[in-house]
Parts: sequence; structure tokens; C-alpha cells
Amino acid sequence: MGDKKIKVIMTKLGLDIHWRGALVVSRMLRDEGMEVVFLGNQFPEQIVNAAIQEGADVVGLSTLGGNHLTLGPKVVQLLREKGMDDVLVLMGGVIPEEDFPALKAAGIAEIFGPETRIGDIANFIRKEVGKIIA
Amino acid sequence: MSSNNTKPRTQMFDSEAIRQIESEKKRWEQETVKNNEAEKEYYSDSGIPIKLLYTPDDIKDLDYLSDLGFSGESPYVRGIYPNMYRGRLFTVRQIAGYGTPEDTNDRFKFLLKNGATGTSVVLDLPTIRGYDSDDPEAEGHVGAAGVAIDSLEDVEALYDGIPVDEVSSNIVTHLPSTTVVIMAMFVVMAEKRGIPLEKLSGTNQNDFLMETTIGSSLEVLPPRACFRLQCDAIEYASKNLPRWNPVSYNGYNLREAGTTAVQEVAVALANAIATSEELIRRGNKIDDFAKRLSFFWNLFNDFFEEIAKCRASRLVYQEIMRDRFHAKHAKSQLMRFHVQTAGITLTKVEPLNNIARSAIQGLAAVLGGAQSLHIDSYDEAYSAPTEESALISIRTQQILQVETNVTNTVDPLAGSYYIESLTKEIANRIREYIALIESKGGLVSCVESGWLHREIADFAYQTQQDIESGQRKIVGLNYFPTEGNKTQVNVFRYPEDAERKQKEKLRKLRERRDNTKVEQTLNMIRQKCHEDINLMPYIKEAVAAYATLGEIEEVFRQEFGLWQFPLA
Repeated sequence: MGDKKIKVIMTKLGLDIHWRGALVVSRMLRDEGMEVVFLGNQFPEQIVNAAIQEGADVVGLSTLGGNHLTLGPKVVQLLREKGMDDVLVLMGGVIPEEDFPALKAAGIAEIFGPETRIGDIANFIRKEVGKIIA
Repeated sequence: MSSNNTKPRTQMFDSEAIRQIESEKKRWEQETVKNNEAEKEYYSDSGIPIKLLYTPDDIKDLDYLSDLGFSGESPYVRGIYPNMYRGRLFTVRQIAGYGTPEDTNDRFKFLLKNGATGTSVVLDLPTIRGYDSDDPEAEGHVGAAGVAIDSLEDVEALYDGIPVDEVSSNIVTHLPSTTVVIMAMFVVMAEKRGIPLEKLSGTNQNDFLMETTIGSSLEVLPPRACFRLQCDAIEYASKNLPRWNPVSYNGYNLREAGTTAVQEVAVALANAIATSEELIRRGNKIDDFAKRLSFFWNLFNDFFEEIAKCRASRLVYQEIMRDRFHAKHAKSQLMRFHVQTAGITLTKVEPLNNIARSAIQGLAAVLGGAQSLHIDSYDEAYSAPTEESALISIRTQQILQVETNVTNTVDPLAGSYYIESLTKEIANRIREYIALIESKGGLVSCVESGWLHREIADFAYQTQQDIESGQRKIVGLNYFPTEGNKTQVNVFRYPEDAERKQKEKLRKLRERRDNTKVEQTLNMIRQKCHEDINLMPYIKEAVAAYATLGEIEEVFRQEFGLWQFPLA
């Protein structure tokens, strides 16, 4: 990866209004040396357009309001349609564990609950993005 | 009630006693405590330094009659009613809201049957944001995290069989732009049932910070437009709904997003100041509207700080209403507040521990003199509460009410050297933070500039750093971390067919109603958006013609424009 910083797009998914988690994760990933663009609330189409424009390595989707099963997979699907298969899509927030298998099957790389250490998210990103780029 | 100036000075300790205590304390520090190990500094969650031990010296300047007084009298530190919970227990007000209005109506009836004494409804995200259930932006959100409300017929279904003239109705309409519409629907529903408006009691949240700062989302109206709608709802209610609380200044969500206890209260009070100034500018008198202003606090785990916060908030509010706005009615000077325990303090690991956390926070609310209470359910970090977990929350409230005897006497912690000292310190810090907001042009300007967003984000960031470093300890998480968390939680699932049902209802409604009439009423609102008048009467006409929430909100979006909140 050389000196190139890992680029992360962070969004709140759809109409969900609880931005604390997404914003704090954004700042702390910056502390971890990544380039983070916090987009606030966005719908899948806008998220994918932004990912293309910004040349993002990672798309982080934050959700609390129960929209993860519909809008999360839609982001992955739209990315694939645009040929952006290498973008790592992560989700975070209040998501029941029994939904994890369906989300992973839909191509979400990992789901982080409310008590995840930000360092663990950063390590996961470094490992996975390294894999893709290598 | 005698006025403050005429009250005699009633210092609680004589100066000779204080001198003796001071000198004995010095001796105690040197001989008994000794400084044999490096003394660690202790702080409250809001950063207030906490001493090892408090004595009368810490409250020697307190004057009993003017600074504490009696319950039900100025300065209301000890409670707003003379007999507090002996006269009326706090309202058990658990939030419900999911699926269609019919689904939530069932949950209301379950809660009322089990002893809830009021209803409290939370709306789904499209409703909060002002979109109809058939809007493309609503996809995946309909009936999730709240109930879907699109039109008057939904409000009718929501309260079907609920005696809204007997049971109070809290409606969590965060945003003023939603409040004005849902409130109009509620009023029209009551009128159609033949209920006199003076019998309606309840609360709208109606806080413009929810629209512009906390609930920042897509397509936010500009702060001044949101603020105007907030004031419209308050002004309308003050003239038509004498038992309605048209605003619940929302400290709760500020705190969830990231403020200290001090900032939570100060920002909400700054909002009350801004609103009062605007309503007075419009020609209203303070005593016309101040009687029904209400507040909403969030109680975290720092037990004594939270109790002191409740007491300090009543004190500072009374000063503002009495000294700044010259309110004459006693009711205009007393602060009534609802408490919800702190959702963000609940953990996903070992979720049953959350029952203990919520109970302790609920106890603080009672000792702080809350008028109504919602105790969060232990499964909050997983989903909306199930019937089972919601029932535990009600039971926790009932245990506080009838088994612990904590409601038997008024303000039982008064006179505690620590509580009184902390109350005074928090009150001072609240005053200072309000002054800071005003030095920046007042609350609306602080929102427009993004200053308030930055304050919140900075604190949230700092808190997370403190958790990661272990400085802030959370049981089961970074203090004795759980190994292999395998607690089985029965997750609540939102009804899957809510979206389909709501869309179908809307389709039929649009066929059935008089669409010309709907257009006319919407155009009238459009026109009135640009006049310095109250929009409520025009919104009422539109909802009576079955204009939908989304249609009215679209008028707001077009006429007021959209605002990009300064958050990065």
C-alpha cells in the first residue's frame, strides 16, 4: 500500500438519525491514520456514487433504526453493479446477531456492535484492505 | 408565598460552629487521613472535582429560606408540588411504537392493562422525518423503531379505544415540523370524537434541536424555520389546549449524542429562553404560555450528580422565569420534567446487568423529583423492547413506587452537605454555559454556526477515548470483561407487513378523499409560510381534509428550503 492512506467513507444509513457512533468512529479511524470522509445520512445510491468519486477502500454504514437488512445489502449490490467489488463494506450499530449471517451472505464484510473497540475496527480494515490490494 | 427579598436571612450554621468544624477538619486531614499516598483526584461525570468528605463548611453560604425553601414554593429546589409523590406518584410512562397504528394500539392497551398511567408513542423514522410510508425514502423504515403515521386516519387508529380525555398522551414528535402536523391530527381526532380540547392532556416533544442538531438527517429545514414551527405549536397550545405541554425541551437526546449533565440542562434552558423571547416578541405574555413548558432529562449512572442536576435545573429555571421574564404565576416558574434512563449506558454484553443500571437511574429520578419516568429495558442494545422486557421496566417503576418507601417524603437528600454543595456547583456551571451560548448570539445562532454540534461531537469523542483507555469503567465491558457472552436475548422483531399495509391504506385514502380540497389547503399553508403568523390553524385544516404528513412536509421543504447541518 506504500504511503497511500486507507480511504474510508462513513455514513448513516437512510433516515436513521443517531450519528454519535458514526462520528466518533470516523474521528478515531482518523487517529488511526486513515482518511475518513463523514457523509452524514445517505441512501444507497448516494453512498455508492460517493464511494466511486472518492475512490474509497472502505464504506462504513451505521444503523440503529432497523433498516440494516434492506439498505445494507443494497449498498453491496450497487457497488458490484458498478464493478466496485473490492470496496470493503462494514456495518455498525444496533443489529441483532441473528441477522449477521444474512448480512454476511449479502457481502457485508463485518458487523460491529455498539461495544467494539475502535482499534479492533481499524485492525480489521488494515488486514482486509491489505488483502484486497495485495 | 413571600417574595424573596422579604425573606429573612436564615443561615443554617453559626460562624463559630463553622470555624470549629473547619479547624477540626484540618486536624482530621493531618492526623487521620494523612497524606501518605499520592491522592488521586476524583471528578463527577461532568468534570466537577469531588472532595473526600463534605462538611457544613461546604454549604455555609446557603440560606435556607431563599436557597432551599419548601416544596411547592420558590425556589422549587425541593420539588414543585407541596406534597410531591404523596399527592401524585410519578407517571409510569413507557414508550411504545412499532408497526402500524393498529399494532401500537395493541401495545398501548397491554401497557395500560398492566398499570401504565399514560401512553407514550414513538414514531418511525419516515414519520419523524416527514415522509409518507409510500415515499421511496421510507423503504425499509416503515414501522421500524416506531409507529408509522401518515394521515389523520392513522392517528384515529392509534388512539382507538384509548380514553384520551382521561389518559395523558405523550407523543414523541421530535421535530417541530412533524409536531405541528401530528398535533393538528391529534386535535382533529379529539374534535371528531366530541372531546372538549381543554380535557386533552399530553406532551409533544417539539424541540428544534432534534431537527437541526441531534436528529440531523437528510433534508433538514433551516434552524430558524424549525424554531418558528416550535414556537407556533407552543403558541397554539397556550391558546387552545390548557392541559397540553406543547414542548418538552429535550436534554435527553443531547446527552445521548454527547453532552455532560451540565450542558444537557444548560442547552435546554437556553432553548426555553429563546422560545420565551420569541413568543413575547409575538405579543404573548410570559404567563400565557410558560405554565405548560416542560423538560426531558436523561439520568446516567453518576447517582448524586444526577440528583443534584434535577434540583439545580429547577433552581436555575425559576431564576430565569422570575428574574429575567418576570413571570408572576407560580406555575410559570416551576419546572416539570420527564426522565428517561440513559439508553447509551446500557451494554450489549451481559444485558441483564442493564436492569440494575436502569433501576439505579430510575431511583435517581425519583430522588430528583421527576414528574414522569420511562425506565429503559435491558434489551435496548439489541432492539426495541419485547413485551417481557417492557414489563420488567414497568415492574421496576412499581417497585420504586410501592416497595421502597422512597416516595414517602419530599426531597429526602436535601441538607446533605454533598448534595447541596453539588447542586450549587451544577447550578453555577449551568448559568455559565447559558451565558456562553448567549455570548455567541443565542441558541439558534449556535446551531447555525455548528458550534453546538462541535461541542457535542467533542464530548462524545472524549468519552469513547476514556472507555478505550479504561479510564471510564463499564462493568462487563472493560472492567471484568465478560468471557464468551452467550446470554440469550429474545429479540423483538418489527412486524414485516407494516410497509405493505400502510402503502395500501394510503392508496385507498388518496382515492377516497377530496383531492381538490387537499390541494387548496396545502396551497394555503404554502402561502402562509412566508407571513409572520402562526401556521397551526392552516395545518389543522389540511389534516382535516386528510392531507398526509408527507404532503404537508413537502410544502415546508419547498418553501423553507433545505439546510446542510455543519457536522464533519
